[in-house]
Amino acid sequence: MQAYQADQAKLDASDTVVLGISIDSPPANAAFAKQIGVTMPLLSDMNHKVLTQYGILKKYPMDGDEYEWARRTTIVVDKEGKIQHVEFDNSAVNPNNAVDVCTGLHDKEIK
Amino acid sequence: MKRNAVALAGLLLLSLAASFPAAAQQDEAMAKTTLKVGDVAPDFTLPSDQNKSVKLSDFRGKKNVILAFYVLAFTGG
Repeated sequence: MQAYQADQAKLDASDTVVLGISIDSPPANAAFAKQIGVTMPLLSDMNHKVLTQYGILKKYPMDGDEYEWARRTTIVVDKEGKIQHVEFDNSAVNPNNAVDVCTGLHDKEIK
Repeated sequence: MKRNAVALAGLLLLSLAASFPAAAQQDEAMAKTTLKVGDVAPDFTLPSDQNKSVKLSDFRGKKNVILAFYVLAFTGG
């Protein structure tokens, strides 16, 4: 999320907003945003509805029990609401590809 | 001799597959994902950290949206 914050100028230039999404509660996300100094909305999918809808609910084993949280995923949605780019897991940590896709979308639009 | 080699290769593959349960789990997760480039992203409304409702389709015609799903807060982000 901090990496996105660092790319804010490129995001603004390409008409792009970032929405962070996890299963954390709004107060937890507010504290998280403050701690890492990010200003984009962090959304709470506490009942796993969106994660299930998107097929990215992943099982994590912990202390002999099993929990379901988000699989790390980056998705670019264009202005028509269509998916333009999907990245998973370690590849989804670095925002460069997603930001480049948005810059490309914007360039195409103004041509 | 050739048959033995094929059997050995098969055994090797089996043992390799068995030693990577994490990879198998990942495939399972992939199989569940139906996200495809070109498809319309399923719409949703979720509460933000500022307790505001945010709806994906509200950005339609206005902004590109990057959805950054993260595992858990306070874990590297």
